[in-house]
Amino acid sequence: MSLLSLKHVSKTFFTSSGNVAAVSDVSLDVKEGECLAIVGESGSGKTTLANMILGILQSSKGHIHFNNQPLSSKRTAEQRRAIQLVQQNPMSALNPKRSVGASVRLGLDTYQIGQKSERWQLVEDALEAVGLDPNLRKRAPAALSGGQRQRVGIARALACTPRLLVLDEPTSALDVLVQARVLRLLNTLREQHNLTYIFITHDLAVVRNVADRVAVFQSGQLLELATTSDIFSKPQSTYTRQLIGAVPVVDAAELALRNKLAKIAS
Amino acid sequence: MTSLLDIQNLKLNFKTVQGQVEVLHGIDININAGEKVALVGESGSGKSVTARIILGLLQELRQARISGEVYFDGRDINTMKPKDCAKLRGTAMSMIFQDPTSSLNPVITIGQQFTEVLRRRNNKLAQAICDEQATRMLNDVAIPDAQRVLNAYPFQLSGGMNQRVMIAMALANRPKLLLADEPGTALDVSVQAQTLTLMRELVNDYQTAVLLISHNLGVVREFADRVYVIYQGRIVEDGPTSALFANPKHAYTQALMNAVPRIVGTGLAKVPEVSDAFLAPRITHSDVT
Ligand SMILES: Nc1ncnc2c1ncn2[C@@H]1O[C@H](COP(=O)(O)OP(=O)(O)OP(=O)(O)O)[C@@H](O)[C@H]1O
Ligand SMILES: Nc1ncnc2c1ncn2[C@@H]1O[C@H](COP(=O)(O)OP(=O)(O)OP(=O)(O)O)[C@@H](O)[C@H]1O
Ligand SMILES: [Mg+2]
Ligand SMILES: [Mg+2]
Repeated sequence: MSLLSLKHVSKTFFTSSGNVAAVSDVSLDVKEGECLAIVGESGSGKTTLANMILGILQSSKGHIHFNNQPLSSKRTAEQRRAIQLVQQNPMSALNPKRSVGASVRLGLDTYQIGQKSERWQLVEDALEAVGLDPNLRKRAPAALSGGQRQRVGIARALACTPRLLVLDEPTSALDVLVQARVLRLLNTLREQHNLTYIFITHDLAVVRNVADRVAVFQSGQLLELATTSDIFSKPQSTYTRQLIGAVPVVDAAELALRNKLAKIAS
Repeated sequence: MTSLLDIQNLKLNFKTVQGQVEVLHGIDININAGEKVALVGESGSGKSVTARIILGLLQELRQARISGEVYFDGRDINTMKPKDCAKLRGTAMSMIFQDPTSSLNPVITIGQQFTEVLRRRNNKLAQAICDEQATRMLNDVAIPDAQRVLNAYPFQLSGGMNQRVMIAMALANRPKLLLADEPGTALDVSVQAQTLTLMRELVNDYQTAVLLISHNLGVVREFADRVYVIYQGRIVEDGPTSALFANPKHAYTQALMNAVPRIVGTGLAKVPEVSDAFLAPRITHSDVT
């Protein structure tokens, strides 16, 4: 069953130097419990699409349905809780004047999650789950490292117990060990609670290992959508092949395999 | 030969609401002119603060206590007057910051910010020449519609566009030292490759030295001559890139290498328990490989 459905969604920005067609006529369905990766050109409309799903931006055209209900500009509290976002730029996502623990707690208070008396404990649990020392909760975002802030963003979104989590470059500031830990956590949550993910990333090796399906974007358009194994074994578009062929790898065996993948079907 | 950058026994403490925390426990790093050096390691281990100390920025933060020597071009940044240090930033050294969207000024257009950067080196540069140079540099980082970008504010651009703007600005004045903190995180792999090529050209043409901070070990392997691995505020391993990748010796480096996600699709790495061996003494590979 599809949890989220986009029909002919477009977004145009009007600026002093002309119109920008950021997203053009995108239709796609996201199934309950699946992990859909979105990859593609920088500036191809991925974040704009995420912002429309979250209701941060209104689409210029088209419809978005969640759980068979249309998502209007006025959303219910339940709809807002059920769809959470991990933003691409963690610094602008967090209130600089609030401690990061308070930022995580805010979601719990807003959506009345847990008993009031246990919420600080929930905040600490959420931070620990992403590999952060709970003592960091008293710090301002500026007193954390880039990857620590990024994990606060993930903890905050997860603490709201969403059904659909949109992750915009969620592990770009994490070393590969911490990244593996966070990705494993996401996998476990998916198994336990049937969580659904939209995973926006430039890291194709991560995509290969976490996604069920992959959507490739270019210039605001959905270029290609297929299962992960199909995208990597028989990419249809030149652009997708180009992307695979440019992935930086760590050893000769990977290099050979990457070059083979990029050549297939070309 | 003297190094362009020579860091000796650098220590850093922060005063926080919960008391003192020691972040850097005495690190040594050196970089020669024309050398490409990478700093990799754990999230929160002290990479970005090290870069900010080299720039002389963290010295201005009241909560930070810094000791040790940071020689840049023969002068110790740690004892330099803030005013003298400020003169070096954006000219002799420049930085690509980790969080591009929040590092750019939100209320000034990209074009105006570019002009400011170019005029740091030559304050008489005519507006038309600034615009022309900015356009060319934006084209170099794969931004074709430079005019729109120059008229835009950072919030009107994508994460990767802001990152490319930041890269173009950092390269603009041909610094002696380029500090690149996670410069490719918001770029698709083909644009990322293009920006790495630009940095290489800068190194070849002007003997610029680069300190690349990155979690992407594939990029590090392709780009760097030498690598330092940092864990919890200590350098644990360093050496020529090829030697270090072929034969990582420190337990932390080995764990890190094993966790690199593979395009082959072998699944997610198992996360090892944090081990005491991660705190074992530093291992330096000899220069002969
Ligand atoms: N508020 C805005 N006003 C005007 N243009 C905008 C605005 N937000 C985004 N854009 C433009 O829309 C296009 C798509 O941007 P978006 O942030 O969605 O890209 P992206 O795919 O997320 O890229 P990246 O991988 O670099 O993060 C870009 O050309 C961008 O400049
Ligand atoms: N103002 C501050 N007050 C207290 N601690 C701080 C402050 N700024 C940074 N820190 C701490 O210093 C340590 C090093 O931070 P730094 O930003 O250098 O990490 P990093 O290696 O760049 O990590 P990442 O890969 O996540 O960006 C972190 O543990 C961070 O929490
Ligand atoms: Mg984006
Ligand atoms: Mg950092």
